Amino acid sequence: MKDLSALIQENGAVQDRSIYWDEDIYELEQERIFARSWLFLTHESQIPLPGDFVTTRMGEDEVIVSRHSDGSLQAYLNSCPHRGNQVCYAEMGNAKSFTCAYHGWAFGTDGKLTNVPLEGDTYYSDINKDRFGMQSVAQIDSFRGLIFATFDAGAPSLNEWLGDMGWYLDSFMDVPGGTELLGPSMKSILDCNWKVTVENFIGDGYHVGWAHAAALDAIKSPLSFMKGNAAFDPKDNGGIQVATRGGHGMGIIWDMAAALHVNPAYHEWLEYRGAQVREKQGERAEKLLKGHWNASIFPNCSFLHGTNTFKHWQPRGPRSIEVVTWTLVEKEMPQELKEYLAVMMMMTFGTAGMLETDDGENMEGCTGSNRGWMTRQGKIYSGMGQINEGPNSEWPGIVNEGFVAETSYRGFYRTWADMMSGKSWEEMARGDGRRSIKEVA
Amino acid sequence: MSAVIAKVNAVNSEPPVEREQLPAEVMYEVERHLIREARLLDEERLRYWYENYLTEDIHYSMPVEVSRYRREKGTPLPGSNPGAGAFNDNYEFLGMRITRLETGLVWMEDPRNAIRRFLTNIDAEYAEDGSGEVIAYSNFMVYRNRRQRDQNITYGNKVDRLRKVDGKWRCCQRTIHMDQRVILDKNVYFFL
Repeated sequence: MKDLSALIQENGAVQDRSIYWDEDIYELEQERIFARSWLFLTHESQIPLPGDFVTTRMGEDEVIVSRHSDGSLQAYLNSCPHRGNQVCYAEMGNAKSFTCAYHGWAFGTDGKLTNVPLEGDTYYSDINKDRFGMQSVAQIDSFRGLIFATFDAGAPSLNEWLGDMGWYLDSFMDVPGGTELLGPSMKSILDCNWKVTVENFIGDGYHVGWAHAAALDAIKSPLSFMKGNAAFDPKDNGGIQVATRGGHGMGIIWDMAAALHVNPAYHEWLEYRGAQVREKQGERAEKLLKGHWNASIFPNCSFLHGTNTFKHWQPRGPRSIEVVTWTLVEKEMPQELKEYLAVMMMMTFGTAGMLETDDGENMEGCTGSNRGWMTRQGKIYSGMGQINEGPNSEWPGIVNEGFVAETSYRGFYRTWADMMSGKSWEEMARGDGRRSIKEVA
Repeated sequence: MSAVIAKVNAVNSEPPVEREQLPAEVMYEVERHLIREARLLDEERLRYWYENYLTEDIHYSMPVEVSRYRREKGTPLPGSNPGAGAFNDNYEFLGMRITRLETGLVWMEDPRNAIRRFLTNIDAEYAEDGSGEVIAYSNFMVYRNRRQRDQNITYGNKVDRLRKVDGKWRCCQRTIHMDQRVILDKNVYFFL
């Protein structure tokens, strides 16, 4: 393997191409990133009742996430501790128990072993059932309805993990009624490295006018002026890009939350909600709520606030991912508005989405070219806007004044490098000199 | 102790609904119509297809079908799920998708995708409501090849509702069922 300390250089602005291709680096990511990080599982709206469950993946590990009979959230490896068979093949539903198809071992909705067929006749009741539950995650918690878990008992709490990202999220998630993911999810395969999609969502305001020129032209929305970069004035780069500690980040275009929408109902909703958010959380929160966000939560989920898109990028080897897509809405929105937003999300960022289709192609191209040995010896660059970033008096994190920059790319790759080098949680907590919300007035 | 096995209806025990069958010449018209439509789409005559093969009240959809246990068939999904699909389009949305391709700014389509549609198992019957509209069923295979060696094959089934307008059949409802819960291609931005 290449020297780990040389994979990310220039403060996150240069990446070694092997990190998008090499098997050994990918395997180390499974151990040092996916087995340690808080990973997105699902939203509470998908498992509201006792017995409700979904199946998903943490890294490449299959897991069942369920609402136990006592109402608690549970997550455990979807694999029978007897001979290893996968236990549940349904993607969601309601169950009193899960039964393995091989020998019929049955488990409760907390993953504990409850029944062993012919227990007395074969094991002569000499089996300690407490020992053979499906293996639980180390910690599970939810933030404003988004459920995360980690396999690392020593990981900081979810609130600490999200840090200032949680403060930003609150502007549109800490609202009366909270948020909801509208399913069922759409799923598709992209032959790309998982980091390519995460970085695109965390900080790529640059590609919008060019990669999505055709869609911007066809949709005739307030963003159409950006088509083909025809009307982009860098001085008018109206927004911010933020890297928060922990590798999270976002780009926000002010006053553009509803920019891809022609239906006035969503604009009206944002006005209505904006006034409430201003009153409870202040003017900055209202400004965030009314901005359009592209964002990623480290390591592998992303969303677009305003375009109502929520993505979970599940790695499947170094060169492939499963893309899982939901519509993110507020629970209190009228059903009619939810339905409209779901239709628009599918139209733009669904599996046949007018913008999704442009991105998928580029994600695969950014990965596939590294097949070449000589190509893979090179580096790629995310150095945009370094001259224009730093701690900010108004916004927590490392902030770039302008949404087209690569500030949040660099934050993501600095955290990636920290985790890959095996740093302790204490060492990582000290990293990234930037102001936290506690230090911003 | 013997295991208790809950009985679920594991196969479809309902007999098919008997509907009025099409006369042979109408059946022939419907078959030729669907096959010609597939050829026009293979030839990328998208605007012509849009203007001549669809009605303006069309609903064109490709719903996501959740993979659940049989015992939960028909149980509503949690939350206020309005349903999801790669397509859930009206006439205007379909037009927008075609406009996007017409701009010449879709880099993915240049060089072009070769898309070949294979239509089979066509069956049809009159709609129950006596409107004279026809419900047509077909299975499809779509082969897409691009960028030298990038290729994918997708299988599924279409259920169409066809209406005769000024002597010509047009589709007023199309529901596409993909036989893949996880779409094994990067997107399904093509018409069927």
